[in-house]
Amino acid sequence: MRTSINKWTIYSLGDHAIVFALSAQIDPAILHTITALRQFIESKKIKGVLDLIPSYHTLTLVFDISPFLQNIDNSSEYMKNFGEELIISFEKEKKQIHDPVKEIIKVPVCYDPIFALDINTLSDEKQISIASIIELHCAPIYQVYSIGFLPGFTYMGTVNAKIQTPRHAKPRNTVPAGSVGIAGPQTGIYPSESPGGWKIIGKTPWVIFDPAPSKLSRFKVGDQIQFYPITTLEFDKLNEYK
Amino acid sequence: MAIKIIKKGIADSLQDQGRYGYQHQGIQPNGCMDYLSAWLGNAIVQNDLHHPIIELHFPAAQIQFTTNHTICITGANFVPVLNEKSIPMNTPIQVNAMDRLTMLQPLEGKTCYVAIKGDFEKPQWLDSQSFNGKRFEKEEQILILDQSDQINPNFKFNPLVIEKVHHFLFNNHDPIRIIPGPAWQDLTEDSIHHLLNAPYSITPQANRMGFQLAGPALSLTSPNNYLSSAVTRGTIQLLPNGELIVLMADHQTIGGYANLGQIILVDLPRFAQIKTEHLIKFSLTKLATAHNLYQEMYAQFKH
Repeated sequence: MRTSINKWTIYSLGDHAIVFALSAQIDPAILHTITALRQFIESKKIKGVLDLIPSYHTLTLVFDISPFLQNIDNSSEYMKNFGEELIISFEKEKKQIHDPVKEIIKVPVCYDPIFALDINTLSDEKQISIASIIELHCAPIYQVYSIGFLPGFTYMGTVNAKIQTPRHAKPRNTVPAGSVGIAGPQTGIYPSESPGGWKIIGKTPWVIFDPAPSKLSRFKVGDQIQFYPITTLEFDKLNEYK
Repeated sequence: MAIKIIKKGIADSLQDQGRYGYQHQGIQPNGCMDYLSAWLGNAIVQNDLHHPIIELHFPAAQIQFTTNHTICITGANFVPVLNEKSIPMNTPIQVNAMDRLTMLQPLEGKTCYVAIKGDFEKPQWLDSQSFNGKRFEKEEQILILDQSDQINPNFKFNPLVIEKVHHFLFNNHDPIRIIPGPAWQDLTEDSIHHLLNAPYSITPQANRMGFQLAGPALSLTSPNNYLSSAVTRGTIQLLPNGELIVLMADHQTIGGYANLGQIILVDLPRFAQIKTEHLIKFSLTKLATAHNLYQEMYAQFKH
């Protein structure tokens, strides 16, 4: 099943998911529409919907086949109409969706090489001082475009072109929780200790993912984040991993 | 009122229908690899279909019971024995205190289930008792809350359905059916031909997160960078080196590799049971067919 309506492409992903897609770009405005659509569909409380997963230019609706398609004969036709009608009513009601002004979340990061495992190499490769790397990494207001890979792992953009760098050819076996990495135009925080290929340029003392059901992921897709540098001493004071 | 892990297996866990509703936070859905065998085991001991169940892979854990229970073993045939004595599969079994359940040999299939009548006292996390990456450890105990909950001896689960499900899972040489995904159109003609005609097999690099396939390498018409988006269980990803990975129950929520297509939900249990030495073929199917097949299968379990 594949159909288009206004700027949207709607297609089935296998037999138990539907994707609502805008044009494939890293663009805050596109992300904003995707998260608004997520809110809209969530408020409809549709039977059989298991998950609504936003990421960059797509929103994926995962469903449980049996309740979602109960008593439906032509499921392909049904899903096409379902998707189109959803977008039509979303576009009609969009203006009424409450859209609070997003606060910028200021996240402390210690860029000391004891945590920033790759910052010296990056400085050498790019011929940029560590101080400038920190400045360039802290200047932008990043958007959280996607969460995945690990529970709470945030994909944020966009990193200044001057410090963009590819992933390690061979991932590290262990990257400590809280490590702040960069990979191409993206920056992200490792929420838990795991293998990882991103170049590590700092560490936040904040816990990014807490399994307590009332907490879970500290950030969500659509959040705006800005990093600020802290010393190792300040890191100790703010350290939530103790 | 408990079962105890006497010997640890390679990757054994408690699983149910999965942990949905949190994938937007990056939390993997988990759940049974072969949900059909899990439904079957639960139906035979008269549990709810989505009741938590013990999932075993070979070499499997050795389990000791501390009180009387009704259990049922379904899925892969690992030659189950209760204290040295062989026991049948797909049938209710009464076990007594101190009985030990051992799996001897991976005769057929890859994933075996032990359904137990009664509720497990394992912490529920985010609406599910499925383990999230965790495995059963040696000496680990699983408390069972409801002992008084006996099975009705007059009820017998339809043996024809048992036979049918077993045949579907293990004696079925039909291709694994897929629906093309967003990157299908970017495959070269040769690659499409290979994927739909060449035999593939599942490499030993297969775990609850994903199965890596061995077979002809595939390629895209032009190198393509995809923005990461959600993946599902059954998603077939093409890696930059031409290899294929099929995402399974513990898959990550977002993927940036070329998304070639999805194995349809009804064929996933069958796919999960295919051993390394067997060859697989893929074929295309239609969305409505996939839904009808799933609904028909599900209807056999509802009374």
